Amino acid sequence: MARSVRVTVDGAVLEAPEGTPLLQAMLDAGLDIPHYCYHPKLSIDGSCRLCQVEIEGMPKLQISCYTPVRDGMVVRTQTPEVARTRQGVLELLLLNHPLDCPICDKAGECWLQNYAFRFGSHFARTVEPRRKHGKRLDIGERMLLDQERCILCRRCVRFCREITGTGELAVFKLGDRSLLDIYDQRLDNDYSICTADICPVGALESKDFHHRMRVWFLRETASVCPGCANGCNIMIGERGNRIWRLTPRRNDAVNDTWMCDWGRLNYSFPQAPQRLLSPMVAEGGRLAAVSWEQALERCAAELRRFVARHGGSSVGAVASPHLTNEELFRFGQLLAALGVETSAAPVRRGRFDNLLIKAEKAANAAGARLLGLARGSDDGLKALCDGIERGRLKALYLCGEDLFEVLVPERAQRLLSSLELVIFQGLALLPALSGAAVVFPATTFAEKEGSFTNHAGRVQRIWRALQPAPGWLCDGEIFSRLRSALCGERDTFDPAEVFQEMAAAAAPFSGLTLEQLGTAGVPAANGAAAP
Amino acid sequence: MPVGVIKVARPAPTLAQRRPWLALLVGLWVATRHFFQSAFLFARGRQNFTVHFPEQRFLQPPAMRGMPVLVRMSNGKERCVACGLCEWACPTSCITIFPAETADGVERYPEVFDIDMSRCMFCGLCEEACPEEAIVMSRQVEIACYSRRGSLWHKEDLLVPRDQLQTRLDYLHRHYDA
Ligand code: SF4
Ligand code: SF4
Ligand code: SF4
Ligand code: SF4
Ligand code: FES
Repeated sequence: MARSVRVTVDGAVLEAPEGTPLLQAMLDAGLDIPHYCYHPKLSIDGSCRLCQVEIEGMPKLQISCYTPVRDGMVVRTQTPEVARTRQGVLELLLLNHPLDCPICDKAGECWLQNYAFRFGSHFARTVEPRRKHGKRLDIGERMLLDQERCILCRRCVRFCREITGTGELAVFKLGDRSLLDIYDQRLDNDYSICTADICPVGALESKDFHHRMRVWFLRETASVCPGCANGCNIMIGERGNRIWRLTPRRNDAVNDTWMCDWGRLNYSFPQAPQRLLSPMVAEGGRLAAVSWEQALERCAAELRRFVARHGGSSVGAVASPHLTNEELFRFGQLLAALGVETSAAPVRRGRFDNLLIKAEKAANAAGARLLGLARGSDDGLKALCDGIERGRLKALYLCGEDLFEVLVPERAQRLLSSLELVIFQGLALLPALSGAAVVFPATTFAEKEGSFTNHAGRVQRIWRALQPAPGWLCDGEIFSRLRSALCGERDTFDPAEVFQEMAAAAAPFSGLTLEQLGTAGVPAANGAAAP
Repeated sequence: MPVGVIKVARPAPTLAQRRPWLALLVGLWVATRHFFQSAFLFARGRQNFTVHFPEQRFLQPPAMRGMPVLVRMSNGKERCVACGLCEWACPTSCITIFPAETADGVERYPEVFDIDMSRCMFCGLCEEACPEEAIVMSRQVEIACYSRRGSLWHKEDLLVPRDQLQTRLDYLHRHYDA
């Protein structure tokens, strides 16, 4: 831990660890210092010159991003000279900037717009035609480049060199002719869209978001990416009850300020056309849509009858690693009430790297393990399949589609067809499930509140961004109501209350509350139960 | 944050504006004068107070704000680039835009541009917000319809050739370029 030093900025004293860039110290203190090229997670470039401030004892203004704090430094940021310098820098940046705001995806969250309004001069003094460069250049699978809009801050260049290590981007030519471009390799790395986030202007644009939606219409909700076990912190951009984009949210303990392209583009499933819209029950050999009450009643009756005939131990359960901790906890309670002994939480595995992407492609596999719903190195899958194949398990409560993603289709089909009773709860009805007795529609991460546990055992909170249809029950409520129907005691599903119950019952969560997780999350007591 | 503030000179209040009871007398005077003027003209077989709608139509001054319409350029395309600023400025949220991409240099156009005229209050804020002079307040006020669906105007119905809107555009230029 570095020594702490004291700096005076505009008369106020701030404290910062020795060696911190002055700019960062001022930003941390809540001061609003305009800057472009500085990014807390990248090396310092000092190319934009916007962050200049007056430092006592220095003959000229200094760029605050490349000046480490020193004890006793006296800094002024509000002098006429600083204001004039900012105005000058902005004028130079705007000299050749195209008047693209009405068609630029960044408009509304563009730092050139913001700073030009606040610190610029509002008038152009030039009459010469503006420089022409490439527009809408297709530089990657998911990225577009507009060279005219680029202000040459080189954040994207440093990102590709320092974070992904792929180095696709560079600034070519010199002086007035400088322009950003790719080498012969296209910008196709797994994190390429992060360059659009860190680009202070609209020079780098994600093809997916290109000309889709104005950012000022989006309502942003904090959440966690459901794509893999890393649990990157994100913001969901919603308008008209549909998701338009996901963007990373800074969390130094999880994803810094990045997220992978796959996770970012994986937001269309909540609005998929094949999603189940209402509960269904088997009626004369086929599934018919019914009300929630009827479906819950039917499900409770089927389970009660089955358990009375064969005992609870002949029922198997599959928990979805996409459910929240609270929902999994309630599911566990429901299974205990039924006397179920065999449960699994199969997780699809895939490509991973050593930056963010994890092999397990679900957000809460660790939660399922910590809550005892998946045991052993294969998450209980083998025991479950064996149980069904040997005829020991005759009924299955199946949550999520994950089982079909980890098993070969024929095997899944065979397993399901040998069962007497199948209750399915998921997003879409697969053909293999046409024999189910009761089908409940499930809810996605964007439609519920609760928490996920990531691969490292960090418990992180999610908030609701999309409103489900009126009368819709989220997964946790389904479990709660079923448990009420089976045990007689009234059960409600309020994530904060369930979290409290869970903290009292499950050791890894003891001492935690949902409130306390905040936006950054908290590590669970004994870390991840990683296989 | 305003980029620049234009101060509009207001005339000093007249005596009648400062004394409310005087204003009452002024009002009475205006009404009486008009009454006798009209009666006089009527007695001579002339009229100056009735417009025989719909055979006759009153040509409103360019400051009038009728229904907002979209400007169609001479190449047949809309001027609008679907920037969404009018949608944002509209106090009644009656504009719905879905942008899409074009192959030409403009890059962007509105694939969908709908105005719900039953909600529009003809405030003209959309016109003021538009950076492209693409939406202007026309003189059109005859927009009654038989159904709610009929009050939803789509892009094709909203497009008006630019030269038909010249009066309003000139009026706007006079004000904004001052
Ligand atoms: S593309 Fe954006 S991030 Fe890259 S140098 Fe230009 S302005 Fe900076
Ligand atoms: S690395 Fe994982 S959690 Fe992060 S954005 Fe990608 S899929 Fe989502
Ligand atoms: S005139 Fe006013 S209410 Fe009507 S569309 Fe324009 S901004 Fe909206
Ligand atoms: S403000 Fe003008 S250019 Fe922008 S969407 Fe509205 S009409 Fe089109
Ligand atoms: S932020 Fe300091 S020079 Fe760019």
